[in-house]
Amino acid sequence: MSTVHHDPVTLPADDNVNAYTFCVELKGSQWFLQKGKMIAYYGTIDFNGVGHGRLDHLTRTSFHSPLHASDWVVAEGSGKMLLADRAFDVNSYDLEDGNLTIRSGNLLAFQPSLALKQSIVPGFLTLLGTGKFVAASNGPVVFMEPPIRVDPQALVGWADCPSPCHHYDHGYMTGLLGGLRAMTGLGGASGEEHQFEFAGAGTVLLQSSEALLAEQAVGAPPQQAGVPGGGASGGQGGRSGAPGLPGQLGDLQRRFGL
Amino acid sequence: MFRLQESKVLAVDMTGDAVKAKNGSMVAYDGEMAFKKLSGGGEGLRGMVTRRITGEQMTVMEVKGHGTCWFADRASEINLVGLQGDKLYVESSNFLAADAGLRTGTSFTGTRGASQGNGLFTTTVEGHGQVAIMSDGPAVVLRVSAQYPLTVDPGAYVAHQGNLRQSFQSGVTFRTLFGEGGGEAFQIRFEGDGLVYVQPSERNTIAGDV
Repeated sequence: MSTVHHDPVTLPADDNVNAYTFCVELKGSQWFLQKGKMIAYYGTIDFNGVGHGRLDHLTRTSFHSPLHASDWVVAEGSGKMLLADRAFDVNSYDLEDGNLTIRSGNLLAFQPSLALKQSIVPGFLTLLGTGKFVAASNGPVVFMEPPIRVDPQALVGWADCPSPCHHYDHGYMTGLLGGLRAMTGLGGASGEEHQFEFAGAGTVLLQSSEALLAEQAVGAPPQQAGVPGGGASGGQGGRSGAPGLPGQLGDLQRRFGL
Repeated sequence: MFRLQESKVLAVDMTGDAVKAKNGSMVAYDGEMAFKKLSGGGEGLRGMVTRRITGEQMTVMEVKGHGTCWFADRASEINLVGLQGDKLYVESSNFLAADAGLRTGTSFTGTRGASQGNGLFTTTVEGHGQVAIMSDGPAVVLRVSAQYPLTVDPGAYVAHQGNLRQSFQSGVTFRTLFGEGGGEAFQIRFEGDGLVYVQPSERNTIAGDV
C-alpha cells in the first residue's frame, strides 16, 4: 500500500522507491536516460538529445552507439527524478571497472562514468567502466553461473564475458522428418528446442518471465565485411549474425545441399 | 470501510451503507448486497448531460447492503485515498470505487488532458470518505509544497488532490523536428500544496515518441 507520501527529502538518492520505480538524484551531474522513462521529477532538470552540440564531449567519452542515439537523452540539472518502465521491475547495478552486456530494451539509464557501446551481438549493448546503471526486467532478475543454457526470451544480459552461443537440440534437428517437424510444428514442438548457451567465467542475468521489453527498431550496423548483422555477405551462404529460426526453408535447403 | 487484500483486490465492509463503484468491478461478496446501475454516475440529469458532452464517461453502480464486497479490475494495482473535505481529481478510467457520500463530478483540465489523450475533462471526487483508484503498477504518491514544485510526465499521471495549480510545459524546439528532442517534450508542472499520484508506467500519449 502506498500511503507513504514522498517529497524530495524522503525520496531515496539513487535507489528504488518501490520495486517498479527508481529515484535518481542529480546534483549538477548528468545521467544518460532512455527516452520516455522519466515519470516525474522535483527540481530543475533539462533533457537533451545526445546529439545536442553542448554534449559533444560527453557523447564522445560515454556514448558509442550511433544506432541508439535517437532513443537516448541526457538529463542534467539538480533535483530528484523518478524512472519507471511499463510497471516492470527496475533495479540498479554497480559496475566496478567491469563489463556487462544487456538487451538494449532493458537498459533504462546509466551514469556517464560508464561507457555505452554496441555489442557485437545484435540487439545488445555493452557497458564498460565504473558506475551505476538502471535496468528493467519482467519479474525479478536471477543471477546464474555458466555453464548454462537459457531461453532466449528470458535472457536479460551477461557480465564479465562468458561466451554466448546458440544451442539447438540435436535430435530434433536431424533427418528429413526432423526438418519437416521443425518447419511445420507437426509432430510436437516443445518450443524449447533452441537456447542460448553460455560457457566460461562470469554471470548471466535472467528475468523470471518470457515477456520481452519492446525494442525500438534501430537499423543495422554499418555494412562492412565481418560485422555481424551488418548485412554484408560473408563467405558462403551469405548469412551472418543471428541464424534464422529453425524451420525456415533456407535452412532446409542448405541442409540438403540444394 | 475500505481495505486492500494484497494490492489488487479492494474489500469493502458495509453495514447498511453504500459505495459507488465502477460498473462490473465486483468480483465477490458475502452477506446481502443490492447492485444498482447509476445512470450518469449518480450525478443527476445535469451530471449525465455534462458527462455525455465532455466525453468523460464513467459507468458506475451503487452497491448497498450488509457484509463484505470485493472489487477488482483487470489486475490493476489499487490505491486508497482518504478525503477530508478536499477534492480528488482522477481520470475516469482510473476510478474504481468511492464512499457513496462523496460527490463526484467533472472538471476542465485544459491542455494537460489533451496531452494525455484522455480528453479535456477529468473526474472529481469531493467530500469526506475514502476513494479507491487504479494504476498500472503501484502508484507513487508525491507531495507538492511551495518549496518543492513537481513536474510529471502526462503518461504517468494518475490523480492529484489538494490545492494545486497545474501548468503545461512544452519542450518542443526546432531540435524535436530533427528527431533530436529531449524525449520529454510535454510535461505538467504542479505548484501549490497537495499530493500527486504517478504510476510506474506510461500510457501511450501523443507525445510518447517526441
